[in-house]
Amino acid sequence: MTDTSRIHLPMQLGGIVRQAWRDLLSVYYANTPVWRWLKSGALVFLGFFLWMGGNVLLAYWPDATALQYAMAYGFVLLAWGPLTHLLVVPTVIRLRRTAQRPLVRRFARHGSKINFGTFLVIVAVVGTLAPGVMLLDFSSGFGADAGGDVTAELTCETGAEAVSCEVETSTGVDHVVLTSGGEVLDRSDEPPYAVSASRDALSDGPSGAQFEIELRDANGDTLRRFVRTV
Amino acid sequence: MSAIASLFRNDYDSDGFRTCSVTGLDVHRSVENHVKLFGLTAVIALAFGGIFAFTVAMTRWEFIGFLDPGSYYTHLSLHAWNLLIFWMVFMEIAILYVGGPMVLGRTLPLRRLATAGWVIMALGAVGVNASILLTEAPNEAPLLTAYVPLPVSPWFYGTAIVFLLGTTIAALPFFATIWLETRGTRRTLPLVAFGAFITGIIAVEAILGGIAAFAYAFAWRIDLIASVDPGIYRQLYWIIGHGSQQINLLAMITVWYFLTHVVGGAVVVSEKISRTAFVFYLFFINLGAAHHLLVDPGVSAGWRIWNTSYAFYGAAFASMIHAFAIPAGIEAGRRRRGQGGGLFGWLTSAPWGNPVFAATVFSIILFGFLGGITGVVMGQMQVNMTWHNTFAAVGHFHATVVLGTTLAFMGLVFFVIKTMFRRDFVSETLAAAVPYAYAGAMSIVTLMMMYAGILYGVPRRTAEVVRNIPGSEFSFAAAIPIFMIFGLFAVVAIASGALFILVSVGSLLFGDRLPGGDDGGLLPEGGLHADGGQPIHAVELRGTFTLCLVFLAVFIAIYVLNWYLVTQLWAIGA
Repeated sequence: MTDTSRIHLPMQLGGIVRQAWRDLLSVYYANTPVWRWLKSGALVFLGFFLWMGGNVLLAYWPDATALQYAMAYGFVLLAWGPLTHLLVVPTVIRLRRTAQRPLVRRFARHGSKINFGTFLVIVAVVGTLAPGVMLLDFSSGFGADAGGDVTAELTCETGAEAVSCEVETSTGVDHVVLTSGGEVLDRSDEPPYAVSASRDALSDGPSGAQFEIELRDANGDTLRRFVRTV
Repeated sequence: MSAIASLFRNDYDSDGFRTCSVTGLDVHRSVENHVKLFGLTAVIALAFGGIFAFTVAMTRWEFIGFLDPGSYYTHLSLHAWNLLIFWMVFMEIAILYVGGPMVLGRTLPLRRLATAGWVIMALGAVGVNASILLTEAPNEAPLLTAYVPLPVSPWFYGTAIVFLLGTTIAALPFFATIWLETRGTRRTLPLVAFGAFITGIIAVEAILGGIAAFAYAFAWRIDLIASVDPGIYRQLYWIIGHGSQQINLLAMITVWYFLTHVVGGAVVVSEKISRTAFVFYLFFINLGAAHHLLVDPGVSAGWRIWNTSYAFYGAAFASMIHAFAIPAGIEAGRRRRGQGGGLFGWLTSAPWGNPVFAATVFSIILFGFLGGITGVVMGQMQVNMTWHNTFAAVGHFHATVVLGTTLAFMGLVFFVIKTMFRRDFVSETLAAAVPYAYAGAMSIVTLMMMYAGILYGVPRRTAEVVRNIPGSEFSFAAAIPIFMIFGLFAVVAIASGALFILVSVGSLLFGDRLPGGDDGGLLPEGGLHADGGQPIHAVELRGTFTLCLVFLAVFIAIYVLNWYLVTQLWAIGA
């Protein structure tokens, strides 16, 4: 007795692959307005996923250059996906039906391959060059090399009539202000940046009288803010 | 005034019934008018809450930085209460009346109670809005959580209780209908009525929890009791805090079954399996609330593990069943009608130009891929720690209740405009554009929220997003590119929401009245019950199977990536 399923298995697999390819092509060339938008939207999603996912994994595996190409694929896909399905595929289909000149007919016959090939070349270039706009920064603001981050220690004393505070280890700070209810109540330009205010001057916050200590740079921009409740 | 009164007029027979030209249901005046009343109120809440969507989004987008921190929390509270609660709950009462008396062809029992319920709900909603708007220090705007001992106005708790009581009263006619229908018979309810019934049961659970939580806090705020236990309060609170969103989920799935059948020609592949999935929800969906309590000190390890793994999968399993059953129903229904061959022909030939169908299918796809997957991922005890209280959690619930529920309800509003108000759209093109524009833009907004939260740890609730966050040690300036994309698409999404309101209200006021018997172009080719020929088990469902494989592949990729991120949080011996 012959095992027919074993004999036909390669043929069956081949049939499945051929059918899958035909199905893929039918989706690729589906050209109603709705499907153009659906495919474009799906590719934008895929693009974001690859771009962001590649970036985050690259933060942990900085040597994995293959991730740069995955990121580049996603990054370029954000624009190229909609371009392909809103413009290139409809144009190719129209030209295949209407083009008279041999050169145009030839272009139409291979239009999708040219489009995909161009896309891959751009992905390869962008992946290799890895431009800054494609790379998301996961280190800024964290750790010792964070340029704009200011760590400081705030010590406050609350008396019956007044509050007073001092700031220690305040590298990068130009001046310190004590505010409450949006109004500046005191300011200090020299270390140890001692500021104080009367308790009556403090406005109410959600859990009682509240004031803020802001560490500012020379331009007046806030580097760090502490919120304290009396 | 006469224009509004005319909205509630239709041609009924001497018994007050008429036959719907789209669904074929016998609709009684009492049911229809109450559905319209609750639906219109919901749209007003949507419009009001949508205004605050703009101010909140433009504040989170620090490039604009619209509001100061004090005003931001008030606006955020108004946004949340009007969109997560009032828009949804008014719609859900309408859905209960559709799923109950309308589908069953009955009159609405206890009509005065239904109207009284609406009045009390409306008073409660206005009261909650007023209490938030008039919040003054030392009180704080409550957002949704209103955690004790955060000082929140007692008026807020009082009016929220009024709203919940009104909702209970408004739901009673639905339960009376089910009781009347099933009394003395072993006949089962139609699937849509069954789904609405399970929704109603979960709603009762949630409302009881809400009344208990808010009454407890209210008693404390008016000095009836000296203190409250924050741990007990949070347990009580999350019965409604998350339970209210489970009502949204079930109502949405009920709407999916209803609308895909009516406008897409879907059939139910297996009633028993779909009903079983609803019953799974009944027992397990409320456990989703557990992920809010995982960082609380008062719950045991056993409690955490049970709620976030073994039992939690009961709800995930139910969702998987619906995720297969509904597209399979569309594929089977359309193939039986001979509409589309090949792998996806049934889908490519679907009525995508019909905004009701498009909104429903986008709701299914986007809820599944963005809301459902992230819900299961975030519901895991370990992975939850990287999501909770970051902007990613906000992204998750925008994916569920905005891309899922709101989109489905938008489709339902369009459906009601044609079938119950009997008005043609003021512009078919603009109506058709709404689900595409809204779903597209809101999807990107939601993705950016998730990326900002999960990749950068950007917190939720703060007005200042990427710099100067009070008390924080670091800046999130690196996340600025993500917020630029977020902000731009938030503007498009809000504009699309405004377009929905304009088309809906414009159609009610200026749309042509549809003549009797006209289906308004809603029905699929071949009508509601086309002769399919093939029995359902003989229909090939390989398109749905392929889509499910894609879904599972995405699920696995996201699951693995999130677990990988968890493993990178610390390194032993490093």
